[in-house]
Amino acid sequence: MDTLNHLMAGLAAAATLQNLGFALIGCLLGTLIGVLPGLGPTAGTAILIPLTFSLDPTGALIMLSAIYYGAMYGGTITSVLINVPGEAASVITCFDGYQMAKQGRGGTALGIAAIGSFIGGMVATIALIVVAPPLARLALSFGPPEFFALMLVGLCLITGLAGQSLVTGIVMAVLGLLIAMVGIDPVRGAPRFTFGVPSLYDGVGFIPVVMGLFGIAEILITIERPYHEVIKTRLTSLLPSREEWRRSIGAIVRGTGIGFFLGLIPGVGAIIPTFVAYVVEKRVSKTPEKFGQGAIEGVAAPETANNAYANAAMIPLLTLGIPSSPTIAVLMGAFIINGLTPGPFLFKERPDLVWAVIASFMIGNVMLLILNLPFVGLWARLLRLPYQYVCVGTLLFCVIGAYSLQQSVFDVGVMIACGVIGYGLRKLDLPVAPLVLGLILGPFIEKSLRTSLEMSGGDFSIFYTRPLCLGLLLLAAAVLIGSILQLAPREVRETNS
Amino acid sequence: MRRGRIVACVVLAGIFLAALVTSLGYSLIDALGPGPGFFPFWLSLIGLTLTLAILIESVRSRETTTVNILPDRQAALQGGGVLVALAAAAALFEPLGFRLTMLLFIAGMLWMLGARSPFGIAFTAVAGSFGVFHVFLYWLKVPLPTGAFGI
Repeated sequence: MDTLNHLMAGLAAAATLQNLGFALIGCLLGTLIGVLPGLGPTAGTAILIPLTFSLDPTGALIMLSAIYYGAMYGGTITSVLINVPGEAASVITCFDGYQMAKQGRGGTALGIAAIGSFIGGMVATIALIVVAPPLARLALSFGPPEFFALMLVGLCLITGLAGQSLVTGIVMAVLGLLIAMVGIDPVRGAPRFTFGVPSLYDGVGFIPVVMGLFGIAEILITIERPYHEVIKTRLTSLLPSREEWRRSIGAIVRGTGIGFFLGLIPGVGAIIPTFVAYVVEKRVSKTPEKFGQGAIEGVAAPETANNAYANAAMIPLLTLGIPSSPTIAVLMGAFIINGLTPGPFLFKERPDLVWAVIASFMIGNVMLLILNLPFVGLWARLLRLPYQYVCVGTLLFCVIGAYSLQQSVFDVGVMIACGVIGYGLRKLDLPVAPLVLGLILGPFIEKSLRTSLEMSGGDFSIFYTRPLCLGLLLLAAAVLIGSILQLAPREVRETNS
Repeated sequence: MRRGRIVACVVLAGIFLAALVTSLGYSLIDALGPGPGFFPFWLSLIGLTLTLAILIESVRSRETTTVNILPDRQAALQGGGVLVALAAAAALFEPLGFRLTMLLFIAGMLWMLGARSPFGIAFTAVAGSFGVFHVFLYWLKVPLPTGAFGI
């Protein structure tokens, strides 16, 4: 009953004209980010953070969340029409979506993707409403050792699944954690690794680093890629036929379940649910040979899983303060910029904000369905925009974003340097995601580790004498061992890298 | 690829070694428990050990396939141009102001990346500099720098 009251209050807050406007702008910008190849949701969300600086925290977070799941929707269009995923989670949609477009069924592919995404997103949001409050209450009983262990699990998951080598993943995560150490020590207030540079006293800004690693690096990579031709396909018949509906319903139901449950696990990332949904669909299909040739289930299942995941992935963030992916880490950064720390205390201290944001997911999903079905032709036309203009627009927003956070040219320099580093990492096949997660979780991990050790007087047994903490640490170890034994499918590891 | 990995490992090892030495300058343990140097020390040590392990593995391994990770001349020039233009824009951002800097940056970048429509370049440059400045300053209340000319 309490949850229902909070949800109603949240819906009332999210449905004000102002917040509806923010959600609509967020959905439009998010879809645009997803549609434009070369600008993924992580960089896209990061570079659009400056747009929200003058907004109240609720409006800002509604808009940024809408950008995030809008980008998850929009990535499908490029996968279907030019065989280039707008974001990594849409890679698998290329397999059958592009084939459907070549057969003149591009409209149906985009239609079922929009409908599946809507269903997956809505069901996951409803499940979030049910699951989040008790999980947040449970997390309130966690002490610093449990939080340390929990964050370690998240970091191990993203490290283990990030690339083809566990060791390189750990090195990248350690590098991210180390960069997070720059600035004032959060416990004692002493400066560390600042080398007398005043700009480093506030630490290395998360936003310039993400913009460089994802935005600038992506531009440098895009310049090297060949031009992709847009498939001319009929976009008039968006709704599937009766037979296609029959084949898609099971895929949508299974995709929703897979996306939601994998979204609950911190560190899984957006790619795995889509791969798992595709593989499951192929296994249960009576005609698996049609997969890769334009099977509608091959579009419906991963696209549904993608959006169910996108909404469910907010659960670890909102209830435990653990970002599941680099994009969610950017959202976490946006919370922190607004003076809010995601986690169980946020549910207790700012229920108005949390529930307004959750309620806005439902409104945003409806908006995205409307934007994606009738206006899909319009989005497709944007693909013909010359890449030079997209590159320059991205660079412009990167510069504004890096500068305006602290009015600092130094941050623009950090962004450029991180752009070069990100380009190098991509070229050398070294995973970027663990670095980003390490950077955002670094201060929290260090603080919980040191507070735990202060509680125990420096005795490390505090981590294995508390059952929940021990369980979480064993889970982290199991994840690492699983990664060494290469339990995750090879395609997932390669795509994640 | 193998040579690139070796270079990356050497750079990373250097970073971790420098961090390890620097962290020894902070207190590792004090009366209250772990000090400011505790976490960075262990992180640097783990990072250094693992990087050296990758380095040894990379040096000992033989590359079975040659993967060229370097861009072609055209892409390298354009990529280098993007970075130089960004650095120049960052340097001019405050002395020249957002509008003039971005007007030059956008026009120059579009030309360098191959756009040749004078109207397209001019329109994008003006919209991206004066237009964006107006939107950010007056609508979004995000101040951007005005330079020596007051523009």
